[in-house]
Amino acid sequence: MRPILAGIETEYGLAVEGGGAEDQLEEARTFVRCYEGVAFAGWDTRKETPRNDLRGFRADRLAVDPEDRQFDRPGPARETEDLRSDRVLSNGARFYNDHGHPEYATPECATLDEIAEFDKFGESILYQTACNYTTRTGRTARIYKNNTDFQGASYGTHENYLIPRNLNLQTYQDAVIPVLIARTALCGAGKVGSESGTSCAYQLSQRADFLTELASVDTLYRRPIFNTRDEPHTDPRLWRRLHVIAGDANRIPAATARKIGLIKLALHLAEADAAPRWEFEDPVRAFHTLSRNSEGGFELRLQGGHTTTALEVLESYYAAAEARLDLTEELCALIAECRTLGNVLSTHAPGPLPIDWVAKKRLLEMALEERGTDWDDPALASYDLEYHRVDPAESLYDALIEIGEIPKENLSVSKERTRAFARGLAIQKFSDALATLSWGSLVFKTERGHEEVPLPPDLEYPMELEHAPDVETFIRILRRNIP
Amino acid sequence: MIQANRQTRPLSPQPQRKLGEDGGPNTPEIERPAAPNELMKRLKKVDPDQARKYRQRSGQ
Repeated sequence: MRPILAGIETEYGLAVEGGGAEDQLEEARTFVRCYEGVAFAGWDTRKETPRNDLRGFRADRLAVDPEDRQFDRPGPARETEDLRSDRVLSNGARFYNDHGHPEYATPECATLDEIAEFDKFGESILYQTACNYTTRTGRTARIYKNNTDFQGASYGTHENYLIPRNLNLQTYQDAVIPVLIARTALCGAGKVGSESGTSCAYQLSQRADFLTELASVDTLYRRPIFNTRDEPHTDPRLWRRLHVIAGDANRIPAATARKIGLIKLALHLAEADAAPRWEFEDPVRAFHTLSRNSEGGFELRLQGGHTTTALEVLESYYAAAEARLDLTEELCALIAECRTLGNVLSTHAPGPLPIDWVAKKRLLEMALEERGTDWDDPALASYDLEYHRVDPAESLYDALIEIGEIPKENLSVSKERTRAFARGLAIQKFSDALATLSWGSLVFKTERGHEEVPLPPDLEYPMELEHAPDVETFIRILRRNIP
Repeated sequence: MIQANRQTRPLSPQPQRKLGEDGGPNTPEIERPAAPNELMKRLKKVDPDQARKYRQRSGQ
């Protein structure tokens, strides 16, 4: 099977001592600039096309959250590049200010373990930068890897999957949407309360309340289950980038890998024309209803008045994959893990599980016992928030690992030589020679002027790049690698 | 200083990620272990008003 390159972009919550949401754009700018690791500042935004729609048109504008406008304040006049403060890190990741949220975008990854590790590494980048911020400004910055402020504002954890352009878009959409909904049972991060629709004490997903459409190009408001942004960051004649915005920020690395693996499974099945067919009565409502089903069952309503469960939907994908795909060892392990988790969830057996919503719910039960209150306790949202805090000495997530409620994971896996390998090396070795860069190319300053070298996404980049003695040799090796 | 460099090593033959102990609840009320000291200590430090004060810009 063709490896599917994937990445995760996480917008982190930022709470600065003495500051408010109205200060967040400026604070996030300052925050990113406190990163002290090896990095290159010079991201090329000219090729970004967030209004291009996979369905074949370009949106006039993207919808914005009208509630968010209350926080707009006149501030210093800044160019977009200055406000965003883009940094490209020496592992090929991107770190910048996105709408007031410090965002860490992992490098492109080929394997599930690799993406889980790079995503977890992002937490340490954010934590270290928060420490630097405090040292420089004298003010504490709390960083949260979550997706809500519990008061109606959401910020995203987006997944990206490189897929061929030649397959019909509808085929992908039909294959992926059932998994986007059903995987919430195994991958949701959990949330206290609700911010739209039916009220509840606790739900599986951070993000479900903010999904109102089946498919659209929007990301800031009226968000869809299936995002149709067409911005491949490579040759658009050959590739699409499936941009998933419906998922949660996971603290547990195994959940991160599972979240990505299940979508890869659906994409492989789409490409083999072997994906199960599921038609929900109302997919958006199904997402909301499933999210509110933290007591088990995970029922979903289908067209024609029938019902199924999220675990049955997922099982149909495992079975189809086993029957129709030549599965890799990694995907076999994924299916085995998901089946085990599904069985445990459906039998109500006791014990800790590497699923964020389960771990958090157990945490909240302990907090309730300690406080002698019940699920109406307004303090519960604060315990939820502190689960997501990116500070190993304070986070409730890290405390759960310490007491064995969440299995500790060994995160030291091999790194594939994707184009991020080349990007990272360019920053480590020849940063002074770089003029600008983006996901899809490097632009060097050479004696011949600015020279752009494309980084095709489907190649394994040669190890000899590590030993290139000068930038001219580095460029020559890169060019030789391009078919 | 954070080391963010990429290292390449041979792939390990088996996934290293394992599930936890056998069994696990989908409803935590079934088994509610007493919170040990470290968790207790952190629970007591949480400002019950923290979420109410936490206001964010809407992102993507």
